[in-house]
Amino acid sequence: MRIGLFRNRSFLFFIPKNLLIALMPVMFLSAGRKTTAGPRSDAIGKNLTRVVKIYGAGGIRKLHAYSTGLIVRSDGYIVTVWSHVLDTEEVTVVLNDGRRFQAKIHGAEPQLDIAVLKIVKKVQDLPFFDLSKAVNVSVGTRVLGLSNMFKVATGDEPASILHGVVAAKTKLSARRGVFDFPYDGLVYIVDAITNNPGAGGGALITRSGDLVGMIGKELKNRESNTWVNYAYPISELRETIDSIISGKFVSKEKKPDEDENPTRYIASDFGMVLLPDVLYRTPAYIDHVVSGSEASKAKLKEDDLVLFVNDELIQSVKELQKQLGKLEAGDTLRLVVRRGMKLVTLELKVRKKSANTIKKQ
Amino acid sequence: MKSVTRFYSLLLVTAALTSVSYGNVFQKSDKKNLDTLEERAFKQAAALVSPSVVRIQTVGGRDIVGKVLTPTGPTTGVVVSKDGYIISSAFNFVSSPASVLVELPDERRLPARIVATDRSKMLTLIKIDVSGLIPATPAEKKSVKIGQWAIAMGRTYNNDIPNISIGIVSALDRIWGKALQTDAKVSPVNYGGPLVDIHGKVMGILVPLSTRGKGATAGVEWYDSGIGFAIPMQDVYTAIERLKKGNDLHPGLMGLYFKGSGLLAGDAMIDRVRLDSPAANAGLKRGDLFVEIDGRKIIRQADVRHAIGGKYAGDTITVKVRRKDLIIEKKLTLIDKLRPYKSGFLGLLPTRVGTDDGKQPGVGVRRVFAESPAARVGLSPRDRITKFDGKVVQTATELLNLVSRMRPTTKTSIEFLSEGAKKTANIELAAIPDLVPVELPSVSIVPPKKKPEGVKVDRFQERLKKYEHDYWAYVPEDYNPSFQYSLLVWLHPKNDTMEADMLDLWKTICRHRGIILLAPKAKTGAWNSNESGFVKDLVDRFMQDYSIDPKRVVLHSYAESAQFAFQLAFQFRALFKGVAVASAPVRKLPQENNPEFRLQFYLSCGEQDPVLKDVKKSVERLRKMEYPLVMTTIPDEKHDYPSVDILLEIARWIDSLDRI
Repeated sequence: MRIGLFRNRSFLFFIPKNLLIALMPVMFLSAGRKTTAGPRSDAIGKNLTRVVKIYGAGGIRKLHAYSTGLIVRSDGYIVTVWSHVLDTEEVTVVLNDGRRFQAKIHGAEPQLDIAVLKIVKKVQDLPFFDLSKAVNVSVGTRVLGLSNMFKVATGDEPASILHGVVAAKTKLSARRGVFDFPYDGLVYIVDAITNNPGAGGGALITRSGDLVGMIGKELKNRESNTWVNYAYPISELRETIDSIISGKFVSKEKKPDEDENPTRYIASDFGMVLLPDVLYRTPAYIDHVVSGSEASKAKLKEDDLVLFVNDELIQSVKELQKQLGKLEAGDTLRLVVRRGMKLVTLELKVRKKSANTIKKQ
Repeated sequence: MKSVTRFYSLLLVTAALTSVSYGNVFQKSDKKNLDTLEERAFKQAAALVSPSVVRIQTVGGRDIVGKVLTPTGPTTGVVVSKDGYIISSAFNFVSSPASVLVELPDERRLPARIVATDRSKMLTLIKIDVSGLIPATPAEKKSVKIGQWAIAMGRTYNNDIPNISIGIVSALDRIWGKALQTDAKVSPVNYGGPLVDIHGKVMGILVPLSTRGKGATAGVEWYDSGIGFAIPMQDVYTAIERLKKGNDLHPGLMGLYFKGSGLLAGDAMIDRVRLDSPAANAGLKRGDLFVEIDGRKIIRQADVRHAIGGKYAGDTITVKVRRKDLIIEKKLTLIDKLRPYKSGFLGLLPTRVGTDDGKQPGVGVRRVFAESPAARVGLSPRDRITKFDGKVVQTATELLNLVSRMRPTTKTSIEFLSEGAKKTANIELAAIPDLVPVELPSVSIVPPKKKPEGVKVDRFQERLKKYEHDYWAYVPEDYNPSFQYSLLVWLHPKNDTMEADMLDLWKTICRHRGIILLAPKAKTGAWNSNESGFVKDLVDRFMQDYSIDPKRVVLHSYAESAQFAFQLAFQFRALFKGVAVASAPVRKLPQENNPEFRLQFYLSCGEQDPVLKDVKKSVERLRKMEYPLVMTTIPDEKHDYPSVDILLEIARWIDSLDRI
């Protein structure tokens, strides 16, 4: 599906230098009026001065060596996405007006995918985004994405602007394994192709110029095999950014001993015998139920198809075993099965296994 | 009712919008107001449709279809009836899931069954057992205008609020009249969802479509590109009524071909009509020029595709064609699949020129194959077939034309003379066998009484002046023009004419079986596809200069040059009747099997040959097209030119190409 991606992106290359004017007619499609001045373009112009282009590590194995950042304080603090671009001692930051600075990582929170940079030289009076004034928006709100995508703006040029609407507000991590993504809060999904190479760390703003979010890195949705265009709401990041800048931040490290895929229970522990798992996505049909077992007490039947385990959709035998593996003694196992054209909900007790039957991974 | 109030507030907004877009004099504050109003209208339109947009989950199913990794969903559907019919994109069910589940916006989960799929417009109808659903309100097809706002909706990220993308209607009547086009972002996150106008009415159902590709995954490569498609709601309802019966709908086919292809091809003049197709049954012929289909004027080939693009198999259309000075009107009922043509077989070899003086009535029988229909009715060598299927036959070609235009298992009658007695019998045709007869006595050719003048015999080398191309040939020394010979055209492998080896291997066989060996040489060592003209002219010249049976003109090649042999055979169907190739698959398939241009294949390949797998695949594909084909695998052989016993088999195969 990478081809699709390039298709999407190739047509973005011809965005001309003076993006503002070029995109205006599109933005006011229905009105079709002259839009050379006005409060809105001022708002965009002001915001463009607050977006920086970042150049750092990469350039090999098709990894882009550039990204985008948001100036968040007049004395040179910049927020960007945590990425391989920062994998170097110092990065180069280029402002809207062409000024170049060296910057160092001041702090980072990989769990939120953010990093804060500080310009090394003493600076003051830089234009900046006031994070406390960021807004939350709803689905359908028109937004603009400002970013250093594809490195098309290199010198004293503003970042590129794309327009679209907020397509959805959702949690991408709701289902494990779909996204390769550490962040588990809400994101804005955008219907413009905002998340191009180098766009990570860019600004998502409203048409009247209010900051909404920070554009994330490129990300693929494994459910639909498509690339996702999204931004982190500033409201979800602000607290962490503030504490990183003030130096009080402690990263929420993952507990190292946490087993991601435990196998504490398997189907047969409940007396469920499944169809043999021969396909990549074998549906979780019950082949038969062992009499006297928990499954038989709950009246699970032959040919039932397991659809949900504790509200997680089960698309294959593998997923069922994965969910069962996470159970702990004392839990209630809630199954929703399809029996003909009916859905039936069953509850099974998760009993403690005797010591010699506990499987260790 | 909440939705009613919503609807009225929406009307107000759209009224405001309409006046705004026509009025040109308004202040900055109005503009700000317009933006807000527009945005509000988007949100309200989406909210209005939202109760009819459902989330669909699938369980099980294949992980890869074609080369596309099938998505596991969730996907989107649109409610089209109160009692639980939901329409979605066929793409969402490409994995043939074991179970389908619908999640309603009110969080209810219901098992669903797939009712049927429209394979032309790529829609799938599913059904849940429920009542009181809210069907989407369709927009009138006429009301949809290019440039108007279009909101693409899906319910894949959240179940509480649908995901939306905003664009405009980019075009109408796209993909052969099947779809609306939009620049709203369309992708697996909203396939099956609605394309909504600003009034909250559904203009169409979002599906991936492609101008070229076929199947449920064609067009997915355009996801999020600004080229998205939706099937107009009116057409969706038409399809639904038919889908409800539980049968899949298929694109309708006529069974004809135009000259040239590609989207810019010109006149809609028929080049070929498939046997047994709706076009053939309606009496359409080569050379007919389309002028009208169902009242729609036809100028170019593309117009024909437009006119029938939205039609299904089973639909009847009225066509008008121009034949010479006449306009002919025909009705034809489209079908979903053109059955590849398979020719019938009697199981005999007719007598040949030179052994048959042609003065006796009927077609002489030279040999009858064991257990064939001919054997079953008691035909034996030296009998003469006088009538077949009630028609008098005088030549082998006439008989072949009749027999090969009937499918195997066809029952008909045959009349023949056996030792002077007239016999009639009922006969059931068989299929051409895919084996070479183990024994096949050759026709003995007697040396001429007088050596023919002006024809070269034995091995000789020459140059075809027009092309500055060399070739060599071997004509049996006792060549007798009163008999007909087979012509074996040898296309040498890259950088090796194999001249000495070929002569050594084939000389005796050629003498024994009456074969002329013709070996053109590639100009640069390897065959270039534009050298086909030279080979054709050379073969034509040999056909003129020598007595050659047009039913036994065969191309022969080995390894990579075989592709050139296939190219020639498929390009000049009237000239070449067989292809015998060693160690090579067929990379580009021929046109459909057609009894008018009978073409037979002989493929051989060593069991240790790395291309064996591909060759076997080719065999499968050609057999699917119902081409008569012999495949021989040679034990322990690697990638090599075959040995003499295989060549003897090829010679027997060539010698049986005139079988009927």
